[in-house]
Amino acid sequence: MKRLVLVLLPLFFSITCTNKKASLSWWFEAANPNQRQWLNELMEVPFETLYPEYDLSIDYRGNTLDQQLRVALLSGNGPDIIQTPGPGYLATMVQAGQLMPLDIYADEFGWKDRILEVFLNMGSYDGKLYFLPKTYETIGLFYNTKMFEENGWAVPKTIPELEMIADEMIKMNIVPFAAGSADWRQASEWFVSIVFNSVAGPNNFYKALKGEIPWTSEPFIDAVDKLKEWWDKGYFGTNYHSLTIEQSFATLSDGTAAMAPTGTWSFQYIPTYFKGREDEVEFVGFPSAEGLPTPLYMLSIGSTFSIANNSSNPYGAARAIDFMFSDDFYGDINTVWQGEWNMPLRDLSNVIIGENVIPQYRSSMENLANAVSNNQYGYTTWTFMPPATNNYLHSGIEEVWFDVIDSGEFLAKIDKLFQEEKAEGKVPSIPER
Amino acid sequence: MHRLYILPTLIINLTIILVPAFLTILLAFYKWDGITLPRFIGFDNFEFLWYDRVFWLALKNNIIWTALFLTIPVAFGMLAATMLLVVRRGRMLFQVIYFLPMIIASVITARVWQGMIFNPVNGIYGLLDRYGLTLTNPLSEPSSALFGVATVDLWHWWGFLAVIFFAALRQVSEEQIDAARIEGATFFQMMRYVLLPAIKPTIMLMMVMTVIWSFLVFDFVYILTQGGPAFSSEVLSTMAYRHAFYDLGVGKAAATAIVISMFGLAATVFYIRIQTREGDL
Repeated sequence: MKRLVLVLLPLFFSITCTNKKASLSWWFEAANPNQRQWLNELMEVPFETLYPEYDLSIDYRGNTLDQQLRVALLSGNGPDIIQTPGPGYLATMVQAGQLMPLDIYADEFGWKDRILEVFLNMGSYDGKLYFLPKTYETIGLFYNTKMFEENGWAVPKTIPELEMIADEMIKMNIVPFAAGSADWRQASEWFVSIVFNSVAGPNNFYKALKGEIPWTSEPFIDAVDKLKEWWDKGYFGTNYHSLTIEQSFATLSDGTAAMAPTGTWSFQYIPTYFKGREDEVEFVGFPSAEGLPTPLYMLSIGSTFSIANNSSNPYGAARAIDFMFSDDFYGDINTVWQGEWNMPLRDLSNVIIGENVIPQYRSSMENLANAVSNNQYGYTTWTFMPPATNNYLHSGIEEVWFDVIDSGEFLAKIDKLFQEEKAEGKVPSIPER
Repeated sequence: MHRLYILPTLIINLTIILVPAFLTILLAFYKWDGITLPRFIGFDNFEFLWYDRVFWLALKNNIIWTALFLTIPVAFGMLAATMLLVVRRGRMLFQVIYFLPMIIASVITARVWQGMIFNPVNGIYGLLDRYGLTLTNPLSEPSSALFGVATVDLWHWWGFLAVIFFAALRQVSEEQIDAARIEGATFFQMMRYVLLPAIKPTIMLMMVMTVIWSFLVFDFVYILTQGGPAFSSEVLSTMAYRHAFYDLGVGKAAATAIVISMFGLAATVFYIRIQTREGDL
């Protein structure tokens, strides 16, 4: 009997161990059926064809992905490829030893040559690389070209020019800023980011993030006061808290609103609301105050990729991430799913995006990449501020809008929270300017 | 030997309820971001809550919510239950209609009210606006946001109380009702002297549960306003959720949870006291 077992054992192992693919797990956020199909056709299938030794499975976890990840990683489980909604929590995850340094893969796959340097710096803590952005975005100004032409408005480059045409719009009962927060109350952070960059200036923003000046400094008080002024004048219309992001963007297409200060993620709504008249919408950098550079592209990271420190297949995970940072994948995925897959490739000249995608999208992405590589960028609160500070910001600015507190009190609370989190090492990496 | 029959339920209670509850109480005295290791800080979390403006605002909102839910749905529920008692035909149909909002998922109810009723562009409010009647979306103003959310939850909840009260009313002994009728009692006298006293235990229980549930309220607030605008509809549980999952302050969330539980405990003690006094326990 013993002899039989000894003979059968190697046979058993040889049967089960041959042709065994290495499994790679990736937890994704929410995706509708079309999007899942695109990921399957453009990622899972080609990746497994190119590397047949891997079995990649994408698990769609919904909008609470980051909370599920936190619980899983705490218990030593979780996927190989870790996708988070932004760098906010990454500093803490690095401190807890949950993420693997990616420097060896960066060297092997040549990421330093292919990816914009500022993002490699943003993904580094204590000199080691821990994440790459899945997509980087910016906030700017969409505007309705037809309405501008009909009313003889010039595209504003400075804040005074913006306010001049906005005041005219108010008189004509046109909403200057199409905006809505009913389904994403955090939308208020976009407007705080806008004024922090366009009024206070990116250099001051940088200094405050580094802790060199407090958030209660004069430039930020001016910035918040300016945002309050826009709110009081009615620039955001009367339905800001009632409309969803999509509904508010739609008002740009039906004559209700003339401009939309929002991010490049809104490109995904253009095929629906500007169908057949895509030339009636254009995207430019947000105007700046006098003396500040223009155009200014505020940097935002939409999602990040890391590898779990306890991954059983880190090399496979790195290969999967590398696969996504290729011209082919960039072109294919952006042809069908705009606004969510702007991987920070240095050189977009060889990328082929389908003809059905509006040219404004491609040119915006190229302008953004050029601006970033020339250090002409600003900051967004959700990418560069630590979690509790940014979280207070959403509601705090509403308190300013509704006269519960003033800009001084708002910024004092921001500063208090920021300094506390900075002392605990929770502030994301701020690359040198 | 018969005591062993409680063992399975006891084990489930201990592992699923008692252990996490104990850990939550413990965490209230620690500073923890949910990722790195917890650090003992004594009463600092409670001190933070004491001095936090938003905590007192949330507590006030929970108290307002409790007052709303102890009155409006109880009154409506009683009214509907007595109507059901009077009506013979169509009783089943009405019960189903009253109970229907309760069985719809709260997310769907919330989204329907938010997008199809309150929405001033695409909803009924928008339609009324086009006919000249302009109503402000209650969810968009700090002064009315909590009441807007409460309206949705009241619409969802009162039918449940109606069905519960009706079931209790039907249990009242026929002899008592007949006796009262023979003695010439009017309908209101019947209600006041026979029916309401008979179902007092049910009403008491529902009111105690209402207090407990009012301090636990989360889903409608979170879906409709996330506690906004400007913290005006913030309640203790949405505040705790924010601390735990967005601010990386699990200790503060645990401390808030203890405060919530204290109110629930107070209501439960009150209920048990009344029961003991009436000799039911």
